[in-house]
Formats: sequence, structure tokens, C-alpha cells
Amino acid sequence: MSRMRGATAIVGIGQTPYYKRGTSSEPELKLALQAITQAADDAGIDVRDIDGFISYASERSDPAKLMPALGTRQCRFASLVWIHGGALAGTLNIAAGAILSGQAEIVAVYRSMAESSNQRLRVAVAQNDTSSQYLVNGLDSPAQILALRSQRLMEHHGVPQSALYATVAASYYHARANPRAYGRNTEMTAEIYAAARMISEPYRLYDCSRENDGAACVLVVSAERAKDMKQTPAYVLSAPMGTMEGGGALEENWRPYYATAGQRELAERMWRESGYGPKDVDVAQIYMNMNAMGIGSMVDHGFFDFEEAGDFCTFENLIAPSGKLPINTSGGDLAEGFIHGMGLIPEAVRQIRGTSVNQVPGARLSLFTGGPGDLMSSTALLGSADTL
Amino acid sequence: MSYSFEQHKIVGAIEADDPFWRSLEDGVLALPRCAGCHGWTWPAHHRCGQCGSWQFDWVPVKPEGYVFSYTRTRYAFDRVLERKDDVPYVTLVVELPEAGNVRLMGVLKGDETGLAIGARVRGSIDSPSAKTKFYPALRWEIEG
Repeated sequence: MSRMRGATAIVGIGQTPYYKRGTSSEPELKLALQAITQAADDAGIDVRDIDGFISYASERSDPAKLMPALGTRQCRFASLVWIHGGALAGTLNIAAGAILSGQAEIVAVYRSMAESSNQRLRVAVAQNDTSSQYLVNGLDSPAQILALRSQRLMEHHGVPQSALYATVAASYYHARANPRAYGRNTEMTAEIYAAARMISEPYRLYDCSRENDGAACVLVVSAERAKDMKQTPAYVLSAPMGTMEGGGALEENWRPYYATAGQRELAERMWRESGYGPKDVDVAQIYMNMNAMGIGSMVDHGFFDFEEAGDFCTFENLIAPSGKLPINTSGGDLAEGFIHGMGLIPEAVRQIRGTSVNQVPGARLSLFTGGPGDLMSSTALLGSADTL
Repeated sequence: MSYSFEQHKIVGAIEADDPFWRSLEDGVLALPRCAGCHGWTWPAHHRCGQCGSWQFDWVPVKPEGYVFSYTRTRYAFDRVLERKDDVPYVTLVVELPEAGNVRLMGVLKGDETGLAIGARVRGSIDSPSAKTKFYPALRWEIEG
């Protein structure tokens, strides 16, 4: 077992509202401050005592800018996890490393975004790092690049359109009960889904994540400290990050497999480190930059294989409270809102606390995944005290 | 001779493929093969991860292969607005058996009949233009 297993826990969560991208009345830094102070209040921690700061990708609300407004007494650890949304779950591993090694005691993991639409994908998401091999050939957006993977997932591996629709239907169904969800009032039927405009085939509009302004934060402390705190701790059982040989920045040359999320080895490590397997998971927040990529994640995690995807991914199986694997119970990246996946962690925590608006009764093991198809990715399993 | 792409350089990512663009602008598809272990290395890189060599031979390759995947772009995306009037257009990922099945991208040219994963395609080279960001570009046609 990994030394990381159960050594830390999430004890505070904070989230701003989701705004349509480019429309937040507050600047990015203020959104970050709001999310962090909310998380401290939620945890019953003096925000000035937060001594570690971790974000990922191209986060610009760095601790140096946050400290004066948080009244930070001492910043003892600060780190940015590499690449894009793939880094999401890996933030917890860095936090655990900092806490276990005595570098920090209370670590804020956060992400904030508020940008005009024309800068967002290029700078904030793609980090201006799209190679000429793509741009020369008319490919710019992650939506187009991931579409290449998903075309193969569907045409070559036989994952049906109905599986994609089921993730959309489940996400919007869950969003209805979530006052925070940006898509809570969006009507969703098979007809509406099928009639929506195409973005980059095979993706239709509703297969894509929303792009929002907003911020979210979770607070991580040692398991020891978590025991006596205000909230039910969500223990971090495993949160590996990385990629395998044959992955990385390879411009559509991933081998031996291509059409899934690049998380197979990560998931194997997570099951090994945590001592649990896919059948044990009660509820999952699956990162869906694009929904077919999230289906690839579920394949990589061993929930089903290509041939079973159509049977597994049905509306009934994917919804709380009693589906086989309820996913994206806040509405997720498709229907709640998308701030580079960061909304998934608070919802995974709420499931352990028993406070989700779409609660899975008695949820003990709560999964959330990092950005699928990213050049490097991560995944994490949270557990209640009795899973330790 | 000065190359068009060098005057319109796109920065980011690995940046080891200048010889690819140079030979393409000269009308030849060439791909890097490690001088040490003779493995095809694509995307081009600075060192062979298999044998540790820093030397690559750029070998001319016939632009012939099979469709590995594709997408039909139905929206004019921000950074490729030069192709706005071409929407919808299809971009292919093509495997080249002659070069160890490395995969290259390129826009589909001509008739879409037969477009499917596994379809045989043949490439030609377009001269630099605004649409290709003043780089030379491979275009693929489906072989009947």
C-alpha cells in the first residue's frame, strides 16, 4: 500500500457561482479568493492559517497575489501541477506529498477562470502550445483534437451514439436538482440532443463541456487533523498522475491505444494503491471535456469494455440514487459548469459527506477523474473513514 | 532560399520538425529516422528515446497510407479562422506503413466517397497559403 493512502483528507470545499464565460462581473483573482475563503469557512479553519497553495495548468491567481488578501501568515508550500485538466486529481497527490513531508499543514487546491472568450481556449486551456502539425491542418480546439480520438472510439471500437447521449441525459437530469448548475433549466431529450448543431464530428453541441467563469477550492489536511474537524472528512485513498510510455506529447501518435483517455495505467495504480476496484465504487465524477472522452475514462478504469459500453451507458445506469454507476451527480462538466474540471472535486466530497443534491445513499467510495486524453492525466479515489 | 514557414513560425510544442516543413516546402515528404537504431521517430524530437542517439536521417517517404481517424469540422474555430469559408472540412490522421505506421495529419481533398477508418489515401503537397498559415501542407485524397 502507498504511504499516501488515507494519509490526508479534504475537509473544506468552496465554489463561486458559474458564470457564462467572459461574463463574470468579478475578476479571476477575486473569484479565487471567494472560493478559498468559502472553503475555509466550510472547514472551520481560519483562512490565514492556510500555508500551502496548489493549482494546475495555466492558473494565474498565484499565491503571491492571494496572500495579501487572505492575510496569509506564512506560505510554506506552493506548486502548479503540469499540463492541462489532466492534472486535476494529481493536485491531491502533491498536497499529500507536501503534508506528509511536513512542508505544509493546510493546503488549498483551487482553480479560477474568468476570461474573454477569444483568449480562453488559446491561452488558458491550450496554453498557446498547439503545434504547427495541428494548426496547419485546420485543427485548433481541444474539441477538434479530441474528436479525432472519439471518431475512432465510435467507428473502430463500436461505442454507440446512445452511450454518448446517456451521459448527456444523466448530466442534465442531475443538474435540474442543483441550483448552482448553469444548465439546470436546459431541457434535454433525445430529439433535442440529436437536433443540436455539430461542432466537430462526432461531437454535437451537448457532447461538449460548458465553458464558464468561476472558481472552486478544496482544503486538504492530514488525516490526523481531519478527525477533529467540523466536516466529515473525505480521505484521499489514491490520486496518481502521469502517463505511460507511448503517451505524452505525440501529436496523434499514441500507442498502443489511442481512442480512450490514456488513464489505464493510472487507474491500475489507483486500484492497487487504494486496495479497491471498479466494482467497489459507489459514485463517480467523470471529467468530460467531451463526453466520449469520459466514456474512454470509464473504459480505462475497468467499469466496462468497448463491447459493453452501449449496455452499460444508459440513463438508468448513470443516475443517482440507484444506478449501477451514478456519474456527474452535480451535472458535471456538461451541465453544471466547467472551470477546467475543478467542480468535480467538491461534488466527489459531498457524496462522501452525504450532502449532494443527488446523493447516492451511503456512498463510501467516490471517484473523480482528471482530464481524459490530456498529454498527462490523473485520477483519484476518495473514501469515508470506514474505507481506510 | 528562404522558406515561407520560417517567416511565419508557429511556436509551441516540441519544435523539432523544421526539416519536415523545409522538405515539404521543397516538394518532398521526409520523415526522421534515428541514425542509431533506425527507428522512425514521430513527432520529430531532439533525441531518440529508444537508443539515445541525437542524430536523425530525414528519409523521403511516399505519401501513401490509411485513414486512422478523422473529424469533420463544423464550426470556425478561433485560431484557424483562415479556413472559415471551407467549413465543413475534414482533417485526417493517416498511418504510413512505409514509415513504421507513423501518423500524419492533413485535410481531405476532393470527393468524400469512401471516407472511413481504414480507407486508402494518397497525399499531395499544397504550397504555403493563408489557409495553411503559410506553411506547406499535406492534403489527402481517397483512393477509389
